[in-house]
Amino acid sequence: MAGTITNQIRTLRFLAGEMSQAELGQKIGVTRQTIAAIEAGKYSPTLEAAFRIAEVFDKPLGEVFQWTSNRP
Amino acid sequence: MPHREKIAWLLLITMLVCYVPYFTLVSINPPAPDVLPNLPQLWLLAATGTAHALIQGLGRLWFRIRAPGDARAPADERDLAIERRSTTVAYYVLMAGMILVGVVMPFTDGGWTIVNAALFMIVVAETFHYGIAVWSYRRSAA
Repeated sequence: MAGTITNQIRTLRFLAGEMSQAELGQKIGVTRQTIAAIEAGKYSPTLEAAFRIAEVFDKPLGEVFQWTSNRP
Repeated sequence: MPHREKIAWLLLITMLVCYVPYFTLVSINPPAPDVLPNLPQLWLLAATGTAHALIQGLGRLWFRIRAPGDARAPADERDLAIERRSTTVAYYVLMAGMILVGVVMPFTDGGWTIVNAALFMIVVAETFHYGIAVWSYRRSAA
């Protein structure tokens, strides 16, 4: 089932006082490079990491990550 | 570049730098299969193994000194996912190689030919292991 996952992490980091990728990574227990990969849509985080990211920004999961089906 | 990607590069390059010359020498001048233990061949293998361990050890030490915080940090979920993928592929490569070396070759070859073939398959499997790790890190790098 093909689909595309997008996210609002860059915007949310900006709204959280330009929180750095390293800071966010530290809060959820991953490296800065992993946050950069998630943000760029090149790595899909585990469900737990996704929930942790949403928790940091105090937003529901659906506001941080969106999934679009590629099915016609 | 994450610490574990640097280590994967180090291990891949070390493996190629040490074992490409070894297998080139062995293929140019194959050891007599029935002369055992064949001390010159043993020395060549020992020198290759020592160089491999030494370069790897010094490389790890260098990375640890340059970025001690990164070196101490535990593997995160992306590191673990990459490790899982690369180990799985390397396992199947190693299995295929060992079947060839351990099940088929004893009927046609012996001695150093089998030793070198087994070593070659281990090197190929490890090259897949670190090669896939490096490729996965590069592919998912932002």
